[in-house]
Amino acid sequence: MDAVERANVERQKRWVKDQKVGEGTYAVVYRGREASTGRKVAIKKIKVGQFKDGLDMSAVREVKYLRELKHQNVIELLDVFSSKTNLNLVLEFLDSDLEMIIKDRSLVFLPADIKSWMAMTFRGLEFCHRNFVLHRDLKPNNLLIASDGQLKIADFGLARDFADPGYKMTCQVITRWYRPPELLFGCRYYGTAVDIWSVGCIFAELMLRTPYLAGESDMDQLKTIFRALGTPTEQDWPGHTKLPDYITVGQFPKTPLRDLFTAASPDALNLLSKCLIYEPRRRISAKDALHHQYFFAQPHPSYPSKLPKCATQLATAQPLEEVDANVDMESTVAGGKGGPIKARPKRKLNSPYDDSKSRSIARRLDFTQPIPGS
Amino acid sequence: MSSASPPATKKSVYEGSTQFKNWRYSPEKLAHVRSTLNQAAVAVIKRTFEAYEPGSSANVLFLTADEEHLLVKHYIATITQLCSLFRFPEEVEATAISYFKRFYLKNTVMDWHPKNVMLTTLFLATKTTNNPISLETYTTHIKSTTASDVLDLEFLVAQSLGFEFSVWHAHRALWGVWLDFQSLPDTAADWPQAHRDAYETALGYVRASRLTDVEFIFTPSQIALAAVSLTLPEESYKWLKSKYPSYNAVETTVNKIKTIIQSLSRPPDVESVREVDRRLRLCKNPEKIVGSKAYLARKAEQEKKAEEKRNRKAVEAGEDDPFGFELGRSTIVDDDDDDDDDDN
Repeated sequence: MDAVERANVERQKRWVKDQKVGEGTYAVVYRGREASTGRKVAIKKIKVGQFKDGLDMSAVREVKYLRELKHQNVIELLDVFSSKTNLNLVLEFLDSDLEMIIKDRSLVFLPADIKSWMAMTFRGLEFCHRNFVLHRDLKPNNLLIASDGQLKIADFGLARDFADPGYKMTCQVITRWYRPPELLFGCRYYGTAVDIWSVGCIFAELMLRTPYLAGESDMDQLKTIFRALGTPTEQDWPGHTKLPDYITVGQFPKTPLRDLFTAASPDALNLLSKCLIYEPRRRISAKDALHHQYFFAQPHPSYPSKLPKCATQLATAQPLEEVDANVDMESTVAGGKGGPIKARPKRKLNSPYDDSKSRSIARRLDFTQPIPGS
Repeated sequence: MSSASPPATKKSVYEGSTQFKNWRYSPEKLAHVRSTLNQAAVAVIKRTFEAYEPGSSANVLFLTADEEHLLVKHYIATITQLCSLFRFPEEVEATAISYFKRFYLKNTVMDWHPKNVMLTTLFLATKTTNNPISLETYTTHIKSTTASDVLDLEFLVAQSLGFEFSVWHAHRALWGVWLDFQSLPDTAADWPQAHRDAYETALGYVRASRLTDVEFIFTPSQIALAAVSLTLPEESYKWLKSKYPSYNAVETTVNKIKTIIQSLSRPPDVESVREVDRRLRLCKNPEKIVGSKAYLARKAEQEKKAEEKRNRKAVEAGEDDPFGFELGRSTIVDDDDDDDDDDN
């Protein structure tokens, strides 16, 4: 056996796959652990053999960026190994995500909690941007939450690096509700501001407990944005009418954010408005956001360990059939080929477990339950 | 320019990279890696020769580390030719070449012929730099190449790279240095226009440097600076002085790079390559030659192992519920799909 193959086998032996917890078209996700320490991990097995062009692009992207990015607020890629025709990514094990938490009606968020999640998001994002990486798919269910409450940016399947201005990029990125208007207008030259818009939407969602700008189609998305924030004028956003896919969707007046976000502090609203500035070049950067007054004013951000947690995170037992059934891959890219691989696939709502809590939304699988009998 | 800058309070982005952590060598270490790899490979191949036909390795003249390197260098030049055929961006070419060179710090040409590896690294680089093209387009434009010539080794290449796909390039650093030159005091407004040729020349030196080992020994910005100072020595000196108080150390480093670029950046002469390649045909690892006795024997053994594993699994799984493990039982059952079991 070659040295390289041997090294791969050694790596493979370090990790134990325990239980399949989800399956999609592109990947199977296992719960696993480190053989020597018992540390919990998630192992994402990507079936490579089935791609006619070899290693799949979103796998390549995810591996490329996660190999380089090591930060408290970015999901950690612990190891990569191959087994026959599969690529296995060993990822840090994370209990839940921000979407689950937002949707858990039993939880009450304090302003300090929201501030803490925002600070962690901006820290992780500032690190990505400092490393010249655009995430391009920020949304609550890509912000995973560790058992100690730390928030981690995950899913780099759509990420890319930005280096040269004047290098054309695709505008078919970012899940619609979190997509900035410049991308909806078909802008092919953009930068870190696209991620900031997404963070602004997440910020608003944390305060509202429901998606802020939930358009039903790309066209409707623009309308939804303008209805909320007012139709941009040439003065607000010079040149936007010249963008490739520019269309008029109606004139809407600007309404103050205060009308909707009645409980927010002036600092919070100021930061939110700076994330949602139409002109991308004037939108706040992650670094400046971290220095924004909001993060220095009272109340101070909650300690991560004190943040609200999902009820399911705390639950101790769960019937096994829940993990076997109805796992569904979620496609995040409108019109993209296939869509990225989710480390933790979504599950269709069907169990009495959910009904008893009268939820009408799709929830993530919960990986926190111990395997019965193990 | 880590060697000269004042002690950094904060790690630079480059210093956090896998390139900085895992792909830097001293010249001595590099030579050592190559000779150890070569010796180990020769030993293994000799054993394989003997195992299938005793006495058959006696008269074989195996390649030396230097000869292996000569061949690698030759195929670096071929990557460049392929890139201009496809009009790939600079980024693709530079990345493919880095992958190719890194691959041969972990593997020997006697196992994997550079001709194939080159095709794989280039295709992989188009994907990792976000310039993907379809495999079909790729293979139809390269003479007598099939999909499997490209994909068969993709995993091995990715493994050899440690799945570290991100590479920092000197040509990017060159662009940065170039922009920075223009911010020096007393720079004429038309400086960029007036020096366009000089930039191209400097870029030529950076490209030439890809045929050498400098990327394993120095940082991209050091290489870029060496390239510029070969082109515009005076401006480089001025820039260096304004940038670094302790510029002497940087200058020493830059001079070393200049020497290497000037002396070692020519592709090897075709006759010597042909000679090495002819001998390579005789000393290739027989287990890696499709159709050879050793190859077939190895395949058969792998098949047997896989078969055994499948049977074992069938027994384990067949004991109870066909729909999987039951509650309350230890669940360390490999519930992989059977087409992709994880045997080695």
